[in-house]
Amino acid sequence: MDNQRILTIENLHAYFYARSKQAFIRSVDNVSFEIHQGQTLGMVGESGSGKSVTALSVMGLVQGSPGVISGAIRFHTPDGPLNLLHGIDRHVQLKRHNGRIMTVIKAARPWEKRLQRRMKGIRGSQLAMIFQDPRSAMNPFSTIGRQITETILRNTAISSRKEARDKTLAWLEQVRIDAPKIRYHNNPHGLSGGMCQRAMIAMALAAEPTLLIADEPTTGLDATIQSRIVALMGQIKSRLGLTTLLISHDIDVIRQLSDRVAVMYGGTVLENGPVDAVLDPAAAPKHPYTAALLASVPDRRLIKKKGVLKAIKGDVLDTINTPKGCRFYPRCRQYHGKIVAACVNQEPPLSPVAQGHAVRCWLFEPINSG
Amino acid sequence: MPRAILDVEHVKKSFGHPGRWWVPKGGFRQTIPAVDDVSFFIRPNETLGLVGETGCGKTTIGRAILKLTPLDQGRIVFDNVDITAMPPKQFRPLRRRMQMIFQDLDAALNPKMRIRSILKEAICVHHRLTDSEIEQRTRELLEQVNLKKSKLSNYPGELSGGEKRRVGIARSLAVGAEFLVADEPTSALDVSIQAQVVNLMRTLQSELGLSYLFISHDLRIVELISHKVAVMYLGKIVEMGMAGSIADAPRHPYSHILWSSLVDKRSREGMSEFTCEREQNRGNFRDRETRSLGCRFAPRCPVFLDKGCPRECTSPETAPELRDIGGGHKVACHFPL
Amino acid sequence: MKTFRQITLRVSDYSQVPLWRKARSMDLACVGYGMVVVLMVVGSYFLGASGRLPFDPQAIDMDLLNAPPYTEGHLLGTDFLGRDIFSRLILGIQAYFLPGLLAIFIALALGGASGLVSGYRGGRWDRAVTYAANLVDSFPRLVLILLMVAAFKPDIYLIMVVVGLTHAPTVASMVKSKVIFLKQQNFIEAAVCLGLNTRTIIVKHILWHNCRALLIIQATLGMAEAILIETSLSYLGFGVQEPVPSWGNMVQSGANYFLQGEFWPSTAPALAILFTILGFHLLGDGLNNILERKQG
Repeated sequence: MDNQRILTIENLHAYFYARSKQAFIRSVDNVSFEIHQGQTLGMVGESGSGKSVTALSVMGLVQGSPGVISGAIRFHTPDGPLNLLHGIDRHVQLKRHNGRIMTVIKAARPWEKRLQRRMKGIRGSQLAMIFQDPRSAMNPFSTIGRQITETILRNTAISSRKEARDKTLAWLEQVRIDAPKIRYHNNPHGLSGGMCQRAMIAMALAAEPTLLIADEPTTGLDATIQSRIVALMGQIKSRLGLTTLLISHDIDVIRQLSDRVAVMYGGTVLENGPVDAVLDPAAAPKHPYTAALLASVPDRRLIKKKGVLKAIKGDVLDTINTPKGCRFYPRCRQYHGKIVAACVNQEPPLSPVAQGHAVRCWLFEPINSG
Repeated sequence: MPRAILDVEHVKKSFGHPGRWWVPKGGFRQTIPAVDDVSFFIRPNETLGLVGETGCGKTTIGRAILKLTPLDQGRIVFDNVDITAMPPKQFRPLRRRMQMIFQDLDAALNPKMRIRSILKEAICVHHRLTDSEIEQRTRELLEQVNLKKSKLSNYPGELSGGEKRRVGIARSLAVGAEFLVADEPTSALDVSIQAQVVNLMRTLQSELGLSYLFISHDLRIVELISHKVAVMYLGKIVEMGMAGSIADAPRHPYSHILWSSLVDKRSREGMSEFTCEREQNRGNFRDRETRSLGCRFAPRCPVFLDKGCPRECTSPETAPELRDIGGGHKVACHFPL
Repeated sequence: MKTFRQITLRVSDYSQVPLWRKARSMDLACVGYGMVVVLMVVGSYFLGASGRLPFDPQAIDMDLLNAPPYTEGHLLGTDFLGRDIFSRLILGIQAYFLPGLLAIFIALALGGASGLVSGYRGGRWDRAVTYAANLVDSFPRLVLILLMVAAFKPDIYLIMVVVGLTHAPTVASMVKSKVIFLKQQNFIEAAVCLGLNTRTIIVKHILWHNCRALLIIQATLGMAEAILIETSLSYLGFGVQEPVPSWGNMVQSGANYFLQGEFWPSTAPALAILFTILGFHLLGDGLNNILERKQG
């Protein structure tokens, strides 16, 4: 059972139409990955790299009508795989030009409703999400205990209110909120940021989901609280063996909590592999972007020397005008010093460099004669 | 040793109910001390890093220095001139020498003005220049902050985060600032852009001899960019000293927890033992009981628990003062580590 | 079936995209219609001044009382004194436009200034402005106007001064909330740090750059309101006095014959009022959406 897949994403595209710019923002552009049972996949990337939109697509929470969502999100339930986007492709017709989507032919209007209908039975009970800002993700006018109890009653087999209440207290205990009986009656605003995030985690776990999506669970918290939340998530992971999709821009958090890593850039996955191979500075990072990302966080030696940080030149990719070739090429050229003609003209495929480790870069790919 | 460019002496500021005659004193009129008796100084071409958690009063100090927030008590001396009670008109010429980099990228620039006019305005505040001189100065500034010339005709909303930050820095330089209060200049930026901005700020410091008050919660960046570091907890400076010595061997239990949480994050093994589990008592001025006590960190302090809750930590008379423990390293703790 | 164009703009070109191309076509249509209305109003002044009206609007023709449209060249017929309705309709707007501008000017100047003061200074100033606004708001506007008319004389300019004064609190509260919002933004503080004086900050950063859209919109809406007020006053007989034509007194005088089947003397000016007010409202709404870059 260990190697059973839970979630497979194939060629996911999510585009949004920006009227003021009269163009499509390619938030997610051809993302494919899979998560196995009990595994934590960390998605790391800068803002606008499409990590959050990927998560929202899995939850079926993407909106914005003149937009496109296509590809396949296969959720493996005991009854067999279920494509969350099945039938939604029919409402969206993409015209491809040289393998890239250029024009959207049909109105994208009906897909939202279909998606919502499909997600009804899955969201909450099988998929749960932890949001970045716990205060705004919880109802400010209800106590945290009541909200968690509601979640349990709705999404699990427990139907008696008393039982659900006891279960809630057990979950609050589980996430190390002390005096759960008192905190049960607190509103989200009566709790500090760290406590609130713990309550949010308890609420997500209370539904006993098959897959937990954590979108920037530690961002915005203070350093000392951050490390505590990370520790808590580590404990939960080892205790419950939960399958998790963890999204963060903080490499340290990803490194500590995940088994596999997907490095996102400009809406696509640039590198995908086991965490030790991808995010270990000692293991000679494969993709130039991963290497540059690791280098831009100062390490002890650099701080001691008061050396100059190795910054990645240029700006975060503009997802409207993605370059024709490699996405990272405009910033990579200066950094890496190697220019391969293919980088400019052709997008590299995600090609395996080791067992379970794939890199989207021409440096690791025999260049075709084309 | 050069004289200090900025001297902050015993600054106090509290927020809360302004107090009216019909409100009984000590009744429901609550004030929240955001900054409580803080003193430090900054020498020219030096960076003081100010670290601490949210709500510890870091930003209030920065704003008070620029007189964006009035002070309750204390003195701020900028370049041997006491600016604490200076009337705005007299203070205006001094303003150009001290500038602020705001945390919020989007709010710091007027959204309806093009970058060109934002810079032009800053250039022309204190000097009357001809068009060609303005043009040249603009070009100079753009070069200094590595910004493309084509961005001049854009509105701030059309720029990326790093570019907005650069425009903010360029605007500060345009008036000829010597001292910059940088309020979390990197927190809203991506990692790769953070590195660019930090490098830029350091280059500018060495080229133009700027002094910074660098407010941040990112310990690594503070350690990298600062010469001195001050650690704040609930409105008080609990430890101050050279950046290297604090980072290597923090003496105050709170600084120790801060820096060890950084190590915790980097290692996969888990947490070091020296952390307090009592997060519930996380410092918050709304927790009434911590307010009247002596040492503010005592409720969270592991040393305090180890020593069996000694009286001198909790009694208001013997609140720990910032004292020198050698080499300019100051700690406000009865039992430094 | 709807097609979205894939535009191949380069990155740095967003600011070169003209404002009207970023706007929704519905907003553009609204603004276009509003502009047509404004042009027609301005055009009426030219026609009136150059005397190129089909008939003399004051000429009484006792042979053609309440003549239906298209009789003897009268495009919209004649009224109860046999005067040409079309000519009077063209001149009728002139009863509103300049007085309306006066009302708008008073409302914007007074409301804008007091809104700025109360928003920027706050405290005592804010309280004073709020009390004054409440005082003005709580007095029925029509009664106030009737009082003025009774005390002085039924002069349209006098009425419009009152309309302007009573509209000022609305403008003031809008400007105030905008200023309070802007004051929380750091760029005002940044401007203070740069050493700009308060006047420059208020006039340039707040008023010119961030409130002009709001004021333009308030101006168009104010014009629509001024027309409505004058119409209702004319209907009561306190507005523009005969024989000077105004749409309000045209409706009023024509209404007496409405039930006898002679509907044109009152319907024509009523429709004119409808489309003009609609035009000003749509103009304001469309401008709001375009200038504030609201996206659909």
